Amino acid sequence: MIDTSSTAGQIDLGGSLLTGSGKPFDRKKRLFVMNRLFRYVCIAAAAFVCLILFLILLLMFRTGVLTFGEVSFSEFFLSTEWSPETEQYGGLLFIFGTFALTLLTLIISVPLSLLIAVFLSTFVPTWLKNMLRPVMDLLVGIPSVVYGYLGLTVLIPLIRDVTGTGMGDGLLAAALVLTIMVLPTISRISDDSISAVPKKFSDASYALGATRFQTVWKVLVPSARSGIMYAVILGMARAIGETMAVVMVIGNTPQLADSLLKPTSVLTSNIVMQIANVPFDSTWNYALYLMGFLLLAISLLMIVGVRWLQGKGVQQ
Amino acid sequence: MKLNWLKVATVAALIATIGLGSVQAPTKTEAASKLSGKIVINGSSALLPLTLQASNEFKKLNPKVKISASGAGSITGPQSVRKGIADIGAVDWDATKAVPGFEAFTGQVANKVAVTPFAAVVNKSVTATSLTTKQLQDIFSGKVTNWKEVGGKDADIIVVNRAFGSGTRVNFQQKALNGTDFMTKGSNYKEVKTSGDMKTAVESTPGAIGYLDFAYITTKMTGVSINGVAPTVDNVINGKYKVWGYGYYMTKGQPTGVVKEFIKYVQSAKFQNGSLKKLKFIPLSAMK
Amino acid sequence: MSNVNSAANANPFRGKRGINSFNNRVFTIAVWTLGIVVVLFILGLLFLILKDGLPKLSWSFLFGLPSEIDEGGGIGPALLNSFYILFLSLLISIPLGMAAGIYLAEFAPVNKLISFVRICVEGLASVPSIIFGLFGIALFVETFQLGLTILGGAVSLAFLNLPVLTRVTEESIRAVPKELKNASFALGATHLQTIVRVLIPAAMNGIITGICLVAGRAFGESAVIILTAGVTTSGEMWDFSLFSSGETLAVHLWYVQSEAIVPDAQEIAQKSAAVLVFFVLLINLVFRIPLWLNSRKMQRS
Repeated sequence: MIDTSSTAGQIDLGGSLLTGSGKPFDRKKRLFVMNRLFRYVCIAAAAFVCLILFLILLLMFRTGVLTFGEVSFSEFFLSTEWSPETEQYGGLLFIFGTFALTLLTLIISVPLSLLIAVFLSTFVPTWLKNMLRPVMDLLVGIPSVVYGYLGLTVLIPLIRDVTGTGMGDGLLAAALVLTIMVLPTISRISDDSISAVPKKFSDASYALGATRFQTVWKVLVPSARSGIMYAVILGMARAIGETMAVVMVIGNTPQLADSLLKPTSVLTSNIVMQIANVPFDSTWNYALYLMGFLLLAISLLMIVGVRWLQGKGVQQ
Repeated sequence: MKLNWLKVATVAALIATIGLGSVQAPTKTEAASKLSGKIVINGSSALLPLTLQASNEFKKLNPKVKISASGAGSITGPQSVRKGIADIGAVDWDATKAVPGFEAFTGQVANKVAVTPFAAVVNKSVTATSLTTKQLQDIFSGKVTNWKEVGGKDADIIVVNRAFGSGTRVNFQQKALNGTDFMTKGSNYKEVKTSGDMKTAVESTPGAIGYLDFAYITTKMTGVSINGVAPTVDNVINGKYKVWGYGYYMTKGQPTGVVKEFIKYVQSAKFQNGSLKKLKFIPLSAMK
Repeated sequence: MSNVNSAANANPFRGKRGINSFNNRVFTIAVWTLGIVVVLFILGLLFLILKDGLPKLSWSFLFGLPSEIDEGGGIGPALLNSFYILFLSLLISIPLGMAAGIYLAEFAPVNKLISFVRICVEGLASVPSIIFGLFGIALFVETFQLGLTILGGAVSLAFLNLPVLTRVTEESIRAVPKELKNASFALGATHLQTIVRVLIPAAMNGIITGICLVAGRAFGESAVIILTAGVTTSGEMWDFSLFSSGETLAVHLWYVQSEAIVPDAQEIAQKSAAVLVFFVLLINLVFRIPLWLNSRKMQRS
């Protein structure tokens, strides 16, 4: 470098070091510009995602809030009488139904999917793993209409036979269908995050004489906690928001579910059943949009809850 | 590496898209019809098979016309027309007049396109297959809950209903139940979203009763005779069976241009006595 | 006495060893049993879906035009639209979702606002698809006056998939060991180079899983498409116009199952379901090929 500059004579030594070869678009400048550009592109993308989010929130909120022009706040949140034909807009039973259904689904699906994730990530030989993973992913792609149809024609008659009830529609049927639907989501993402735990962790654990049971529960699962939590959140989100399958097995009757086998209704099923059948500028329509907004609020609440629990776990 | 590969594939596909699109356009012009334009149809899902078939045939005759149809529910039809997002709103009742739950749509014209007969249907396990209007009213309003009370076996009645706002529900309530209100809750009551779901539910639930368009009734269920009159097309035409309604295409004002031609085609004798009959609707002319 | 005691003290695990190995055995057996049961269950489910449809498949069904009256209608245009819409929506959602995910993982400052945004994005993943459909109507049908189009369907579908894609990208980039990133910086690589050459390849496994989940969901989604792209196809086989209406296979399945009057509706539904599942499997495999090649390469070197 110094040699060339000294033979050329005129070129400033410091300048050449700073700007590389001195051409307007040399490598260093290009890298700098690219870096900046990439950063801005990423920021723009994130902003765009936020914008969409905001627009959807706005759409639901703007329309939903009109409900309270005619319905009192307390009626919507505390009454269980939903009969828009007679101007009664009590939303409590749907809110309760959504909570109950989501909890029930999580209680069944989380332990199950966690075990499957452990099974896939630490028990199974690699060749089998490579075969099983795409099969799990496949379950996500089966359209919800198919799940609903199978629920209607296979699961519900089964529930009818086992429990001896007349119908079989209700929270139990919906939770079982949802479990099958969220199972692949939760177990595959947990599986990925357990697999991403550095191998040295489990090596160290085995070297200390821990059994596989201890290694899995004391080392692998805690290290992968963040990913597993995220998997649970995603699964939960899908369970809260699922419509087409739930609507076919839950019974769609506006009554509070005091039994697992009683036909009831949740926010999503009610929205999807009625949204196409209501006049645009009616309180009824507004109430349905409000329910959509609530749905988002509920899932946000549950996500904050899960994160809070996770934070607590870390502190211990 | 992978990103580059994706980029190349994307660009190639886009070029192919544009290329194919532009190549295809001229090949279509060989047909003789001068009609061109775009029709958007929305509304009743029960009329959807008819709309789809009609638009297929119409597009074959007039290749320059684009028709897109969707069906979410009867009331979306006239509403989309009012909002101006659809040219034709398919609906199962005359939306220029108010029906229970829905106001009248002023400024729209209802064009009759078909006759749709409905029937109460029961699961194969049910033996009471002939009911009076009163018995039907009692069953669907929840006063009667066991089949033995209406002359059947000792078994719970499971009532399957369509969601509020369904055109089939409006017609069934008016014509078969004489306007009696449906029950809204109970442990043996459920609502379903579509005719297909109704079909599956009634087929697979012992003791179930529901109602369907004639076209959806299968051999795995029984159509209920009302006041001794069996639900058959003949009985509808000779006036004995009263549970039927017209299907309508709503338009903003009198239809014009392509829309007018399309409705004309649907109402033509050729379509009415051909495809429409095959779809198990009844031609308009039969009812006069 | 004292001898035994000191021996016990010398090996603190001694008393627990029996329980530990018992626990371990029970656990191993339980996980294997459950794993096998679940695998059998999944295979049973697939069998249930495929057994009625797959044997009856024919080329004329796959590429034929649908029919409203006569038996033997095909699914050609719907199948094509499925791929077309899937392709378009991935074209929009993958770059956007990945860029947003990279921002959240690499550039975003750690503050309340960003963690709030993160929770919102997760929340958005739970919004039922029908709301995205309504949003699509408000945007494309009412604001832009486009009518029911493939474009509207694809973009709405992309919006539906954005949150999942964003969060999956972020999570998998975060899961990349810190050492890799530090090593890259230590070698003098810029942030961009580190992200593109180190972080993304290392996180590819997770990202591909995310894309597979999203693609599968998009392929099977019906509610959004019914509202934004309609239930009709343009009636021709090879129509790539962005502005014609675009019924996808999942929508066709819904339609056939719920409203169609064709006598062989049941059979068409079974066959469509089988085709759908088959193609979802195919999509999964195709996306995984680069991954396999990659891991091959890494093992060899």
